[in-house]
Amino acid sequence: MIKEIHNKLINKEITATELIEGYFQTINEKDNQIKAFLTLTKDSALEQAKKTDEKIKKGKGINVLEGIPYAVKDNMLVKGVKTTAGSKILENYTASFDSTVIKKLKEQGAVLLGKTNMDEFAMGSSTENSAFFTTKNPHDLERVPGGSSGGSAASVASKMSVFALGSDTGGSIRQPAGFCGVVGFKPSYGTVSRYGLIAMASSLDIIGPFTENVEDAEIVFKSIAGKDAMDSTSQDVLSPLNETQNIQNTVFGLPKEYFQEGLDNKIKKTIEGIIEKIKSQGATVKEVNLPSTPYALSCYYIIMPAEVSSNLARFDGIRYSPINDYFNLHDIYFKTRGQGFGAEVRRRIVLGTYVLSSGYYDAYYKKAQQVRRLIAQEFDKVFKEVDFLITPTSPTFPFKIGEKADDPLSMYLSDIFTVSANIAGIPAINLPCGQADNLPINMQIIGPYLSDFSLLNISKTIENIIS
Amino acid sequence: MDFKEIDYLLELARMELSSQEKEKIALDLEKILDYVKQLQELDTNDVEPMTGGTLLENICREDKLDEEKQDVSRELKQSASNLENDSFKIPPIF
Repeated sequence: MIKEIHNKLINKEITATELIEGYFQTINEKDNQIKAFLTLTKDSALEQAKKTDEKIKKGKGINVLEGIPYAVKDNMLVKGVKTTAGSKILENYTASFDSTVIKKLKEQGAVLLGKTNMDEFAMGSSTENSAFFTTKNPHDLERVPGGSSGGSAASVASKMSVFALGSDTGGSIRQPAGFCGVVGFKPSYGTVSRYGLIAMASSLDIIGPFTENVEDAEIVFKSIAGKDAMDSTSQDVLSPLNETQNIQNTVFGLPKEYFQEGLDNKIKKTIEGIIEKIKSQGATVKEVNLPSTPYALSCYYIIMPAEVSSNLARFDGIRYSPINDYFNLHDIYFKTRGQGFGAEVRRRIVLGTYVLSSGYYDAYYKKAQQVRRLIAQEFDKVFKEVDFLITPTSPTFPFKIGEKADDPLSMYLSDIFTVSANIAGIPAINLPCGQADNLPINMQIIGPYLSDFSLLNISKTIENIIS
Repeated sequence: MDFKEIDYLLELARMELSSQEKEKIALDLEKILDYVKQLQELDTNDVEPMTGGTLLENICREDKLDEEKQDVSRELKQSASNLENDSFKIPPIF
């Protein structure tokens, strides 16, 4: 898709300005219903498109991403543009610098169309926790697009942007990509700089792309990845371990804990069908065990809120928003935070404060960090036996808007197949692999730490097998 | 979990909640804590806690003022509405 548009631009079949205007027209037509965007950046987009057109006119070469329209989740800072993280507490906040991912995309001439809707501070699996509105699933407007990067997923699925960036802390790229039927890639922890990403849980957060196909995900990932002086946890990605790796000499593992009760039967049957096709191409597929899998969600729901409660302490009513006229500092803190955060954010702050508080720290937080190591070690071990793991992305189809809104625990269970990759820091990708009742079915492929390019390579092969 | 415990947590988190929400959060927390208590089934004796997502060492830089970044510092402060002489102005603490 990206290369196709790039070729049209350099062959002068279309100008960048026409391309961008076309996308804004699509947004105009569709976004009233889908509601993927919180802010549009039309003026700067057309300005960038003009620059691209001039370059092409002068016969200068352009980067593959130059002139390509994209959207970004509203928790990434774009200088001079409103950045809310889906929260009322940042309703009037304008970013004063560019996040590293945006800086890189700007340098390459990609065209930002706007900022997309999300669950407040990336906490949720449906975008229903946005302080502004709920995004709709493009396949069925009565259903959620998934979350927390629901706006980004919906914008790509409804062709309102060529690609979009999201962030994934426990599944927030892969689950909405699955619900909307697009490719969503969660890279290895640290391979994309988090500088300028509003932090949710710093040891789990990672930025990654939503695209129509794996090749595009690879192009976008290449352009945003790499070590960054502004993020001390960032690092370079390894080049593909084995360029010539083909399906015949690849071993896939099916962790049986991911195919048990709770998994929708239609999803299970579709994935089993794909696995048969992969086998018939000569790949080796074997069942493996990841016995700590049932504990991953519990581990996540201790570590993540602990980090949330600490990261969100910075929203104190003083630095990022107009100070309300309260008499003393105590009231500024207590009232701004009590009124500015939404219900789910408040719940996670209280939970995180609890697991970190004196007397409970060892039983919850330390225990969860120990279990985190067990889970990571289990993946290390299994990747000595197999090259990649194949699992479902989500146990269910997209649910109806409102269906899980009042039951936090059942909402948390939406992430059951995705959180483990964040806990272990390993890369994972959502691949659309079928449909039932007009709703997308998806699979997840998980690879070893820093195997990102190999994972993308094999995903391209599987994408071909699926289609 | 009782109100007293929730109040203590809210004091630590610097956050005010209505009594109705305190009730709801107490119930939600109980459900969540009941779910996560399954971790106690696992034997984690002698397991070193995993604190971060990477195996990287901490990186430190010299504590030196970067003159080039003075503008950034000024711009960062602009998101606060009450600035005086380059400092945040807040009401009395006591």
